[in-house]
Amino acid sequence: MKRPFNACAVLCAIACALAAGQAAAQPARGLAPGPITITIAGPGSQLSAIAVSGLKNLGGDDDHRVGSEFVGTLRRDLELSGYFRIIDPHAYIEDPQSSGFELGQFNFADWRSINADFLVKGSVAATGAGVKLTAFLYDVAQQRRMMGKNFTGDAGDVERMARRFADAILQAATGQRGPFDSKLAFVSTRGGRFKEIYTQSIDGQDLFKLTDNPTINLFPSFDRSTRYVLYLSYKSMEPALYLADLKQQREARLDSPHGRVIGGTISPDGEQIVAAIERGGSTNLYLITREGAEIRQLTDNNGINVSPAISPDGATLAFTSDRSGTPQIYLTSLSGGAPKRLTYSGDYNTTPAFSPKGDKLAYQSRNNGRFDIWTIPVGGGDPVQVTDGNGSNEYPSWSPDGRYLAFSSTRGHSSRIYIVMVDNRKIISALTEGNGNDSCPVWSGWLGD
Amino acid sequence: MIPVQCGRGGWVTSRSMVARAVAIVSVGVMLAMAGCSSKKPAPLPGENPGGGQIGETGVGKTTSSLEDWKKGLIPGQGPLSDIHFAYNEYTIQEQDGPVLKSNASWLQAHPQTRVQVEGHCDERGSEEYNIALGAKRAQAAKDYLVTLGISGSRISTISYGKELPLCTEHDESCWSQNRRDHFAVSD
Repeated sequence: MKRPFNACAVLCAIACALAAGQAAAQPARGLAPGPITITIAGPGSQLSAIAVSGLKNLGGDDDHRVGSEFVGTLRRDLELSGYFRIIDPHAYIEDPQSSGFELGQFNFADWRSINADFLVKGSVAATGAGVKLTAFLYDVAQQRRMMGKNFTGDAGDVERMARRFADAILQAATGQRGPFDSKLAFVSTRGGRFKEIYTQSIDGQDLFKLTDNPTINLFPSFDRSTRYVLYLSYKSMEPALYLADLKQQREARLDSPHGRVIGGTISPDGEQIVAAIERGGSTNLYLITREGAEIRQLTDNNGINVSPAISPDGATLAFTSDRSGTPQIYLTSLSGGAPKRLTYSGDYNTTPAFSPKGDKLAYQSRNNGRFDIWTIPVGGGDPVQVTDGNGSNEYPSWSPDGRYLAFSSTRGHSSRIYIVMVDNRKIISALTEGNGNDSCPVWSGWLGD
Repeated sequence: MIPVQCGRGGWVTSRSMVARAVAIVSVGVMLAMAGCSSKKPAPLPGENPGGGQIGETGVGKTTSSLEDWKKGLIPGQGPLSDIHFAYNEYTIQEQDGPVLKSNASWLQAHPQTRVQVEGHCDERGSEEYNIALGAKRAQAAKDYLVTLGISGSRISTISYGKELPLCTEHDESCWSQNRRDHFAVSD
């Protein structure tokens, strides 16, 4: 295992750059001291140029299928990160099969001449079902290795190796691990007119139809470990919450003695659920265990209390209530207490989501009949608009590193899931494609080892 | 499916092992969710999988909007008429008073029937808030029918939120049709 090169220097350089308030990426070149660092760039600012070379075949990958799978996924993830521009592979001078991939075995001038700031090189060896893969990130100007990883696994693991390497590149280049070794769950009508829940990788691969009941399925939520998926379904012809245990391949329907369950979310630790229960037209929130034992009632009024979101530490609940006359977002302790109103701007604020650090909420706020995504500090403060008023933008969900939000938007021909970089409000790309409309995205935590 | 009584709050969870074919690839599902397998796991099954569907309704009976929609049918207007709501409101509008009185008269003339009031919303607003709003609309009609002398035990409610629109254009003429209570009658 290669050790990351000079990680402390990278982190320190970033901290200094941020402290100096630099807005744009200023990759170090030529004689400038220190390694390349990337600071968060404003919209339209220059992206860092990265070349992702093909993997050298050390045996068993003569058709370069494995290498291409790794490189293709890595390039897509790096583009989705919003930090990098992939240099067109046709411009690459060097042949990865005839040159080396370790420091000293290739010529940096071949990469400097095509204006690469960063370079990825590596190798692959495939034996039977097993794959051994090595990849390095190089700083072209400084002619040094920044980071390297060895991966072993079977042929089905190669895309995931690429996602983990993309996350490691972001760690090396920005000081913060990337979010791509994770999953997206969302609701889609791609199979026809029925809303089913699907999962896929963030980069659009491994599409999996999680529900298959031709009715209505909504509001998927993951626990942090991605073992459980909680969702609402009309598959019994009435709304009910279902908790799917992906490890045990079991599913439980959660019914309440208090009324009809119309929504809910699972806590990050997977131990508790907050459910929205309707009775006599009023909808209130209840805290229950994963097994369905009631812990306490959280709201108690004649109005509407929905869209529960649980903070990463499991202590605080955010939810939407109409108690003021319009849908607004409130905070309350999961151990009980009076709710406190958080949003005051706008007459329709809903679908709160806690950032991974728990310091901010993302939510949707309506203006001129359409929604935009906003964030607001949990401790109080001014809301910040994230999306741009193009289409209706709904259901924000944070990436595990807290840098990005997935959300649904009608900006295109149909509703799709998009990724936006929160700090610079850059809408990077759509994450879903295909027939039908996609909605209710939820971004999982990092997948385990 | 085995109902299990759980917990002091009396919540009930019904658990079921999913189909055998799914259990065989259970490891595949877990690994695919973790992103490290190319095996294709089976989806979670529906509550009522398989079996041919036989449409059978009693005289004067209407199916629910969801049942109609599953069959690709436009919800039919049964013996009872829809009522409509203002945006983000759930109070019964004045012009719908006579409609509800007419519906109540029919129910009084057919004492053996039951009715499920369905609350529906237009496409604006979030899915979950609209399910709660539709529940308010259904309850408002139920309360009104009860004041007209219909036993509450004959009336159930359900909300479909904005999930089953009658009309899919993005304008008020369409939205106003979708903000409705529909009355599905059964024996």
